[in-house]
Amino acid sequence: MSASIEARGVGIQFHFDRQRRVLSPTLARVRRGGPEPWALRGVELSVEPGEGVAFVGPTGSGKTTLLRLLGGILAPDEGSLAVRGRVGALLSPQAGLLGLLTGRENAELLGVLVGMSPREARGAVGPIREASGLGDSFELPVSSYSEGMRARLGFAVAVQRHVDLLLLDEVHEAVDHEFRAVVAERVREVREGGGIVVAAGHDHAVLETMCDRAVWMESGAVARDGAFRDVVDTYVKP
Amino acid sequence: MRYGRGRLTMVKWLLDPYAVAGVYLLLIAFVLDRPGEAAGLSLACAIVPFQLVLMTVLNSLTSVQSRRSIVVNMRFERALIPFSSAVTEGIGFLATLTLIAVMMVAYGVELTAAVLWLPVLVATTFLVAVALAYPVALIGLWFPETRAIMLSLTRAAFFLAPGVVALDQISDDTSEWLWANPLTGLFEAFRSVFLYGESPAAGELLLPFAFAVVTLALFVPVFRREGPQFAKLVE
Repeated sequence: MSASIEARGVGIQFHFDRQRRVLSPTLARVRRGGPEPWALRGVELSVEPGEGVAFVGPTGSGKTTLLRLLGGILAPDEGSLAVRGRVGALLSPQAGLLGLLTGRENAELLGVLVGMSPREARGAVGPIREASGLGDSFELPVSSYSEGMRARLGFAVAVQRHVDLLLLDEVHEAVDHEFRAVVAERVREVREGGGIVVAAGHDHAVLETMCDRAVWMESGAVARDGAFRDVVDTYVKP
Repeated sequence: MRYGRGRLTMVKWLLDPYAVAGVYLLLIAFVLDRPGEAAGLSLACAIVPFQLVLMTVLNSLTSVQSRRSIVVNMRFERALIPFSSAVTEGIGFLATLTLIAVMMVAYGVELTAAVLWLPVLVATTFLVAVALAYPVALIGLWFPETRAIMLSLTRAAFFLAPGVVALDQISDDTSEWLWANPLTGLFEAFRSVFLYGESPAAGELLLPFAFAVVTLALFVPVFRREGPQFAKLVE
């Protein structure tokens, strides 16, 4: 299956009560009182098979929120979003890992959560251990891992199955030089197979190795969308 | 993992219901002076199912927040969260069934064919725990300041059911009201099987079953509808 993304006027809104606690939209209907800012508003995005798209922009501009939206972790509060293809996501160096569990146990758990059967997940543990390059640390609790080790494990789980849409949020910035090459290789495979890679971060040099298009996010909206170098040069221009 | 790693935590986990039974046994035998028939076994028949309900409520109250790392990073069926809370505590529940066996030996109560109802008792208790897990998880997420109150209410439910003493030791007027509590049927069903050696009355199992089905029908859809908002709330 080839991947595609089609977002039309997408928005994500947060609701707060008077004490500035986040409310769900359901509760917000009866406990209004605080601000209701939009984390994303009016986002238009169309991505075709084989594309690599980088989200750039300042912290708090909506890059992670948009990635979570594409990954199905959040649902749009307005607008429409159609994402085709199997998603593999690594949206934080923490990678959804549970500290008390070992690398092996996390690999099994996350494998099931991304859709593998328990048997498949157990069978995938060996290749995940191999791909992560964690060696004996794979059998230790994840709480003893560095951020880079967690990112290695998370990435190995995320791409263990065939993915059509790979979402990466600042993950490549957490891993060492050696593992960046592994990430880059996987990114190339996904794109050549008709998949899409969307990566967000602040290390533009690394992003450019994965993406030829950039979307500059600013205050929850798309400020500019185009060829990577054009967009980034405009963004970083003093 | 709910209790961490190591043998000591496992021992503590297994001893919890024994400690609770001991405290209540002292209460009814010496303070209230209402020991009744095989008091320890009667208590165990209430404590064992209640432990599952209480621990599931305790687990569910923070179930979404405690899974924050996967909630904000991964797409998965959020409705599995409360279910996994009940399953986690269900493993402990199966282990605490040994309390009933110990009490039967201690009071010289023999097993009868009614013990064949055990799988139905276990399934019904588990269903009630699962059903409660959904609204409790939402309450814990929406109103985190009410977690202590929720625990107190759950403990109160034990005393608003024939938990400390059996239903036949309670006045008729009061016992009629206690049937409104789904725990009443569970406790009495366990007593029917293990204390009296007979099949549970239909109502003893049907009432908690109906409560669980209605609760699930009401709250699973709400939980699923709210699932895509969880990442906002736990961030």
